[in-house]
Amino acid sequence: MGATPFFEEGFAMKRLERYSPVLIAVLVAIGCGGGKPQDASATTEATTEAPTQLAQAPAGQPAAGGGSASVKGSVRFEGEPPKPEQIQMAADPVCQQQHPEPVTSEAVVVNDNNTLRHVFVYVKAGAQGPFQTPTTPVTLDQNGCGYKPHVFGIQVNQPLEIVNSDPTLHNVNSKPTKNQPFNVAQPVKGMKTTKKFTKPEMGVSFKCNVHPWMQAYGHVLEHPFFGVTGPDGAFAISGLPAGTYAVEAWHEQYGTQTQSVTVADGETKSADFTFQAK
Amino acid sequence: MSVIRSPRSLLRFSVAFAAALVGWVSPAVCEAAERPAPDLEAGGAAYLQHCARCHGQAGKGDGLDAKRFYPRPRDLTLGVYKFRSTVSGTPPTDEDLFRTITQGLPGTNMPDWAHLDEATRWQLVEYLKQLSPLFEESTPQPVTLPPGPGRKPVDLKRGRAVYERLGCAACHGSVGRANGTSAGGLVDDWGMPIRPANLTQGWSYRGGSDPQAVLMRVLTGIDGTGMPSYAEAIAPEDAWPLAHYVASLQELPQWNMIAHALVVEGALPKAPDDPRWDRAERTDVRLRNVVTPAGEWANPPTVKAVSFQAIANAEGIVFRFAWDDPTQDPWDGFALILKPAGAVGDVVTLQAWPYEGAPPLDLCYWAADTGQAAEAVATGFDQVLARTAPQEEPLDSAASYEDGRWHLVLQRSLQPASPEGAAVIHSNGFTPPLRAGFTAIAFAVWDGANPEARAVSPWTDLALRQEQ
Repeated sequence: MGATPFFEEGFAMKRLERYSPVLIAVLVAIGCGGGKPQDASATTEATTEAPTQLAQAPAGQPAAGGGSASVKGSVRFEGEPPKPEQIQMAADPVCQQQHPEPVTSEAVVVNDNNTLRHVFVYVKAGAQGPFQTPTTPVTLDQNGCGYKPHVFGIQVNQPLEIVNSDPTLHNVNSKPTKNQPFNVAQPVKGMKTTKKFTKPEMGVSFKCNVHPWMQAYGHVLEHPFFGVTGPDGAFAISGLPAGTYAVEAWHEQYGTQTQSVTVADGETKSADFTFQAK
Repeated sequence: MSVIRSPRSLLRFSVAFAAALVGWVSPAVCEAAERPAPDLEAGGAAYLQHCARCHGQAGKGDGLDAKRFYPRPRDLTLGVYKFRSTVSGTPPTDEDLFRTITQGLPGTNMPDWAHLDEATRWQLVEYLKQLSPLFEESTPQPVTLPPGPGRKPVDLKRGRAVYERLGCAACHGSVGRANGTSAGGLVDDWGMPIRPANLTQGWSYRGGSDPQAVLMRVLTGIDGTGMPSYAEAIAPEDAWPLAHYVASLQELPQWNMIAHALVVEGALPKAPDDPRWDRAERTDVRLRNVVTPAGEWANPPTVKAVSFQAIANAEGIVFRFAWDDPTQDPWDGFALILKPAGAVGDVVTLQAWPYEGAPPLDLCYWAADTGQAAEAVATGFDQVLARTAPQEEPLDSAASYEDGRWHLVLQRSLQPASPEGAAVIHSNGFTPPLRAGFTAIAFAVWDGANPEARAVSPWTDLALRQEQ
């Protein structure tokens, strides 16, 4: 059991260091900001949404999953949307100052077109591996004292780059049950921490104890077949090989819904989901 | 910014430090030489005998009276341990468990078990590890501290700057009184309310109060709580200055068995900053918190100790109290508790008072909303809280609140004419040689923001002492 000097860049780094200088060089590039965020959420509004997250392969690599079929659809919301819960940020003036307008919880966001935002739609069963592990990190940005994105997918062993874009202390407290939990401090703007999840796991929670309203969910999958609904309530899963799949929609408060979809090569099938108001 | 170093420079550091650290072995590791072969039967028997009362038969933290404790006994089946020398989210080392069993957790109900022989403590470690699958699924990844300053002076100003830069004040407060802006809303990983450590109270640091223990907490975090790991956020050269700065915030407690009031000639001081206070001895008293009528904790206690001084003359006595309360609220309150003159029977424990048939007590109750203090002989705290006791002339008092700490100066007569049955503070008439009698005093403190966690002290002996 080797002692890990604390000031190394995380234990993942330590492990890699033993194996290969090339890997270290790759990680150095990531750690120094060489990696591009997977989604382009660069806004400062906690309530402004990132575009729909697509499981896209990095440029220059084969299409994720290697297939040519797609599943597209939207997630409708029926009934009276719950009143958005207002977030009080007064405890931290750094947060408060970034939001002249009231900020509401992202737990349930019903779009203007009666669709539900932040629904994670993914292939639950039917995907045949093995799958390539992307080296491009997924970025989880603490920005405006909120997480961007609020819901995201990530593949097993794909780097997750957690960034603090706020000039205040955040702690990233993640409590997966199948993967290793962690709670790390990011007191300074610009800090980055890279983590990996080695096993598939749905609904990994990310919380900040300093700002208890902050909450994100990450879903760790073997494969790249997932999407998240955005401001239009739409999702898209692409790169699927022909086959029959169980496609599930996951929402933090409304639970899950599953349907079976069969696609042929080159085909785009539509699959819509509906969640009812409680 | 120095805390964001490139991994390349960190690696370079690590080689140098690893070389310097080869010689560092904790005492617990040395004891491992005498570690017996695992014997789960022996460990299980010792567990049932010593641990199950609080941690439960199956280790689920649900033993007898578990809900009356704060903090509650650990659920050992979860494998989440606060005080480790390992990376956040990894299990503790065997030595970590051995140390916690041996030393206990100061400020909690977890006692030290140093009186058990070493072999038994090691068998307990083995037994605890098989209560949670975590020890099978995950491996401890020890964190090593950077080389300490040795005899070189530590730059506390630098430590203070690091404390500010790392955002410690968000929870622990600018001077460490657990009154940061995020302190009130903290929950643990199971959603239960939790409080940051008051860094001025070194005796309540559960993982140890010396700079080395402090640094280990900073680097590993305290799993299950909001305290994160700063291993990646702090530069090696900042680590020890921060740890020493935090340790420098600790105020050495004076747990005097007998508290002395300074006897002076002439008038008593009225002002909290009268220079005569510097000559009066200070006594600290730990408080116990009263659980809800259901016998469970609603919220963690916020007020944990009272510090006081007293100055007396032939007629009266004036106290200067100080206590840490993270927020200033209208319903904050304080009571000096005395035993009424001629009372029959004795209130042994204030936690249970007023129980049926309990004698009345003399309460000098100060309320933040009125800013006044009054004395009453009452049969329950409710009487003074509701101000239903007969109104007397207010006592002389002055209070101030600053950065998480109340100061209260409160004066009363040694032998008041009213209210009826008012307690007598024994003076023996101040005729030399002075043989001042003892007077039992106690305190109750209310934090208006945490009303269910009323805190009471044990009885403390007060003696008047003429200045030498």
